[in-house]
Formats: sequence, C-alpha cells, structure tokens
Amino acid sequence: MKKFFVLLSCIFSITIAGIMFSQPKVQAAEKTYTIGTDVTFPPFVYANSNNKYVGIDMELIRAIAKEEGFKADIKPIGFNAAVQSLSSGQIDGVIAGMTITDERRQKFDFSTPYYQSGIVMAVAPKSKITSLKDLKGKRVAIKTGTSGADYANSIKDRYGFKTVTFDDSDNVYNDVKNGNSAACFDDSAVLNYGVKTGLGLKIVTKPTNTGKYGFAVQKGKNQELLSKFNQGLEKLKKNGKYDQIIEKYTGSAATSSKKKENKQKDADGHTFVGLLKQNKDALLEGVWETIELTVVSIICATVFGVLIGLLGVIPNKFSQGFSTTVIYIFRGLPLLVLALFIYNGVPSLTGSKIPAFIAGIITLTLNEGAYTAAFVKGGIEAVDTGQMEAARSLGLPFGKAMRRVILPQGLKIMVPSFINQFIITLKDTSILSIIGILELTQTGKIIIARNLEGFRIWTIIAVIYLVIITLLTLLSKWVERRIKD
Amino acid sequence: MKHLKVDVTDLNKNFGDNHVLKGIDFKVANNEVVVLIGPSGSGKSTLLRCLNRLEVPTSGKVVIDGNDISDKKTDIDKARENIGMVFQHFNLFNNLTVGENVELAPTELGKSSKEEAAQAAKKLLKTVGLEDKYNAMPYSLSGGQKQRVAIARALAMNPDIMLFDEPTSALDPEMVGDVLAVMKDLAKNGMTMVVVTHEMGFAKEVADRVVFMADGKVMEEGSPDAIFDNPQNERTKSFLDKVINV
Ligand SMILES: Nc1ncnc2c1ncn2[C@@H]1O[C@H](COP(=O)(O)OP(=O)(O)O)[C@@H](O)[C@H]1O
Ligand SMILES: [Mg+2]
Repeated sequence: MKKFFVLLSCIFSITIAGIMFSQPKVQAAEKTYTIGTDVTFPPFVYANSNNKYVGIDMELIRAIAKEEGFKADIKPIGFNAAVQSLSSGQIDGVIAGMTITDERRQKFDFSTPYYQSGIVMAVAPKSKITSLKDLKGKRVAIKTGTSGADYANSIKDRYGFKTVTFDDSDNVYNDVKNGNSAACFDDSAVLNYGVKTGLGLKIVTKPTNTGKYGFAVQKGKNQELLSKFNQGLEKLKKNGKYDQIIEKYTGSAATSSKKKENKQKDADGHTFVGLLKQNKDALLEGVWETIELTVVSIICATVFGVLIGLLGVIPNKFSQGFSTTVIYIFRGLPLLVLALFIYNGVPSLTGSKIPAFIAGIITLTLNEGAYTAAFVKGGIEAVDTGQMEAARSLGLPFGKAMRRVILPQGLKIMVPSFINQFIITLKDTSILSIIGILELTQTGKIIIARNLEGFRIWTIIAVIYLVIITLLTLLSKWVERRIKD
Repeated sequence: MKHLKVDVTDLNKNFGDNHVLKGIDFKVANNEVVVLIGPSGSGKSTLLRCLNRLEVPTSGKVVIDGNDISDKKTDIDKARENIGMVFQHFNLFNNLTVGENVELAPTELGKSSKEEAAQAAKKLLKTVGLEDKYNAMPYSLSGGQKQRVAIARALAMNPDIMLFDEPTSALDPEMVGDVLAVMKDLAKNGMTMVVVTHEMGFAKEVADRVVFMADGKVMEEGSPDAIFDNPQNERTKSFLDKVINV
C-alpha cells in the first residue's frame, strides 16, 4: 500500500513541478513588470479588432517602457481584479484610467497624473432625463470600483435613486441602452469618446468631481518602477509624444475614423459567420486555454482526489480525519471564493506571486479533487466488505487487497462519477475568468467589451462549450466501454 | 494434550456495550475437526473471526500454531496465510475469474509463479469438481459452485487449518451435499477444521468434537454422541430440540 501511495504522490508532485517549470522564465536582461489593466475602458484601454490592447494608457505605458528600458507585461484582467491583484502584490502596477483618490492613496503610491477627467451622466438617446433630480426612484448602472461608482453612491440618497453594479463597462452601457437602468455615471473622457464613436448614449451633465488619472504601484513597493514611469512621462511630454497619443485617441480625426470603423464592423459584425471570422484567433486561443486548464486540472484533481479518497478508507483514524477535513473544506468553499483566495489572498500572506494559470489549476485541483475524493471514498465503501475480508483472510496485505480486489470493483462504480466530474471541471474553468485567465469565457467577455455583440458572442461561446463537452463525453464513454470489457 | 493448533484463553470481545464473548477457552488439536453450534447471536462467528483477527479481541489470548494472534506485533498477514477461511456468502472476488480467484494470493504473495499457481488452481478446482469453470466469472456460478471455488481458493495457500462460517447456510438445499462432500474429503485427509454449521448430520458424521455456545460462553462440549444423544446442559437440550425437530 505504501508503494502505491508513494507512486501516486510522485505523479502528483511531478505534475505540479512540471506546471511550475513550464512557466516562461523571466529574462534577466530587461526587467519585466507585470502591469494590470482593465478589459475595456476606451479610449484609455480596449482591444482593437486584432485583439491587441490599445488606447491612451496602453500607448503611454509602452512608450514609457521603451524610454526607460523595461518590459511591460500587460494583463487585461479587469479593473477590479487589477486593483485587488495589485493590493496583494500579484502584479507590479496598474494603469487603467484610475482616478487618484485619498482612499486609494492609503494602499497605493501614484505617479504624477497623466490625465484629467471628471464624472458625467449618460442616458439613452430617447430618455427624458436631463438632470440628477430626474433620477428619483430610478435605477443607475455603475461599474465596480470606479470613481463614477463612488460618485453615484455618494449622491444616491440625496437624489433618491438605486444603483446596480457591473464588472465591465459594456454591461453598464447595455443596461442603460436597453432601458433597465435610467442612466450611468462614468469618466467624461470615456463617455465622450464612446458617444462620439457611436456608443448610442447621450451625455446630459457637465463634468463634476474632476479627478486625475495616475499609474499605481503597491504602497512602498516598486518605487523604482514608479520613478521610471514619472521620468518617462516627463520625457514624453517634452518630446511631444504625449500630445500625439492624446490627440490620436480623443481628436476628432480619431473618433470619426473609429466611428466609421464601428459602422463598417456593424455591417459584417452582425452575423455569426462575420463574428466568427473576426474573432477566430481570439476564440481559438480561448478554446485552447480552456482545454489546457481542463486537461491539467482533470489530471491533478484526479490524482489529488484519489489520494485523499484513499486516505479516507485506510484503517487509520488520523488519515481518515484528514481526508474528511480536506473534503469538507474544499467542497464547502464556493469555487469563486477559492479562486480569489488563492490568487489574491495567499500572496498577501506569503508575499510571493502565483501566476494566474497556476492559481487556477490549484483552485480546480482542490475543489474538483474534493468532489473526486468524496466519490472515490464512496465507491470504495460501496464494495461489499466481504471482498476485503476474504482478501485479507488469504494473507494479502491491505494495499494488495485494495489494488487487486477492491479498487477494480470500486472504479467500476466510480466511472460515471468520474465522467460527470470531468464535465463539471470543464465548465468550472469558466469561473477562472475572475482571476483574468484568458480562457473561453474571459475571451468572450473581452470580445463583447469591444463589439457589444453580447447575444451572438455568448451563443457562439455556449456552442463551443457544448461541442467540447460532447467530445469529452464521447471520449469518456469510449474509455468506460473499454474498462467494462 | 496433543500439539494444539488453536489455543484460546479467556477471550473477551465487546462491540461497544455489547459483551459478545465472555471469557472463552477454546482448544483445537492437530487434525481435529471441531463443529461449533449454538443459537443465532451466541457469538460463534465472532469467535471464529477472532481466530484470524478479522475481529480484534478486547482481551484474552488467541494462539494459532504457536503464533500469538492477539499480539499486535505479530505479522498478521503472515499468520493468515496458514489459516483458510470460508464465508457464508462465499465472497469470491467479483472482478476476477474463478482461476484468478484461486491464483491471486499465491502469486501476489510470491508463493508460486504464475504457471505453478495455474497448475495448482486447476488441480484444486478438479478436486472440488469444477475444473471446467476455470475461466468462468463468479456471477455465472450457482451458490454451491461458488462455495466450492471459495474452498479451493482458501486451500491454494496450503493452510494448516480451515475455518468455516456456516458454509452451507446460503445455499439451496440441493447444493448443500456437494459442499459438504468437499468438506468431508478435507477432514478425511487430516485437515484441522473449525466449522460453524447447523448441519447436524455433518457434525455427527465428521466432527471429533462438538462445542455448544450460548450467550457468548461455551456451555458444553464433547464427542458428537455425547452432545447429541446425551446433552447435560439445559440450554443444549432445548437448542437441539429446536433444530432437530424442525
Ligand atoms: N461488527 C459488529 N458490530 C457490532 N455488533 C456485532 C458485530 N458483529 C456481531 N455483533 C453482535 O455480536 C453478537 C454475536 O454475533 P455473532 O458472532 O455473529 O453470532 P452468531 O454467529 O453466533 O450468530 C450479536 O449480538 C451481534 O449483533
Ligand atoms: Mg454467524
């Protein structure tokens, strides 16, 4: 039995080690900083039709990196996730149209401001709402963690409206457009840009609560990066590059060409075929990431689960208690909480970063592994106790009896549960979009952030999931038949 | 007394508050066939299962062939190799063929090579009249056939002693004879046996000694003739009245 466990643990550690080492090594020559940013916040950050991240923030950080000789590894993980990841030290800096506030200063150190904006209110084109007073009893859409949200929350009691919170700007705008919400609050630069490029909303208030955008690092950390940013920004302002960038994204030339582009895209972007063509590469990458996550997680979770399950049936109080506890904890925690805890929480405690992919694998391994352990335990316990007694009576040690007699019978009982768990694992990878892994769901979110084609893109994503699940099911059934024979 | 195969002294077994075996002394000599009888719940199975440590005694001493089974330090797997056990519900390994059932322990424990084990298995299956079932799966066998395979499986380890726990109780009546015949053969060939059974005919014919248990105690023991024809204990009398008169 011991040998069996040693073997299992070896496979497990090798798999984990393999993942760790397969992560790209950081080059020593140029220092690489991981910079978190939003998924979509045009004109500051958004993906263009080639799924390349562009916008004022993106061009600034890239230009500054070039000036100052460092590498910026841009992670478009969403505003909220970026801010959280920065607090926990998972990333080195955030540039995401973030307004410098006193509250944020407590956790972050900000660069010299690179842009000045203010909050405005936007409503649907046909809306009769023209001022804050008209919002009484209405619903207002805001985006989590933004200064637009802070502003809305600070005045909602005075003006008697309710707020509804979304993670992405496009969901905010959509909610207003389709009439669920009466209005939204956002930065004037963003909304101005949106309105000019055909967002389909109108701005009805003057900018208030003007704020300054800054690049942020964790308080007291990465000061070198911060001063590089400030120096670089200074140089760009002097050599005229800064003005070029701003003009490029907010000047009338930019917005009208973008408007044309939007119209053009509208023409072929409203069909499934058109959307598939436009986003083929992004979708394929997302599918691949999802498959990678699924396969690695299934392997790790199965090894982990079988191990914990077996610990639960060997006749030793300590190991049984351990198994029960592990199952109880990791089956009890919502996957979302577990993912955020491992990705953001653990680095805050230990001070060392975990790549999102690894955090994702660990999350799924623990959660799916706990479910696996539970049915492995159940499957083994479902084998008639007489089988074990007969094997032990012949002088077979526990491990041999387990391996030759109990497990083969237990496995047969477990096969349907395994297949079920594999499918659940595949589906659960979508939850990892919360920590910014660019798998299929996150890819969908980003594409929609750009083209606002929610219905069609989610349909495409749903069909892709169903296709993968069908393939996985067929594969599992094939394996099941082979085991049965 | 002759060389003792089984030497149980002051054996007690509790299941929680349930005091099931109350100070049992139980000896079996070499080549002796002992039949254990007694009402249901009297502790016969528990006593039998204490002999190969399927149940761990609460107190007392269980010595098999000079090996103290009740001592935690004893290598129980090693000891069990010499103690064959046959269960009421056969417990054939459902995932293995009849042949594999018989060969598993000898090969896994390095007692014999695959070929030797296969040969031995075929020979054993022949002695229990099932040589044609070598490749069959357990589910395709009748109860009587299953039990005979189970006996062959236990014999494959060449045990010095065989324990039977109601080996015919789960069988249709027409199957009982075949199994008992195999057991009689074993007894004739000098196997030391402890048999829990309600087959009084078998006890009369084969047993060297009959032990009557009730309420976790040995109430009476003696030769079959003494126990069946002239029981001394009231409990023995009323038990025999019941089983023999039905
Ligand atoms: N594993 C067990 N757990 C709890 N009680 C048991 C267990 N095995 C047997 N007993 C109890 O021990 C007593 C004797 O059972 P057993 O030895 O099976 O009797 P017999 O074989 O003579 O019918 C019964 O009261 C039974 O309920
Ligand atoms: Mg019994």
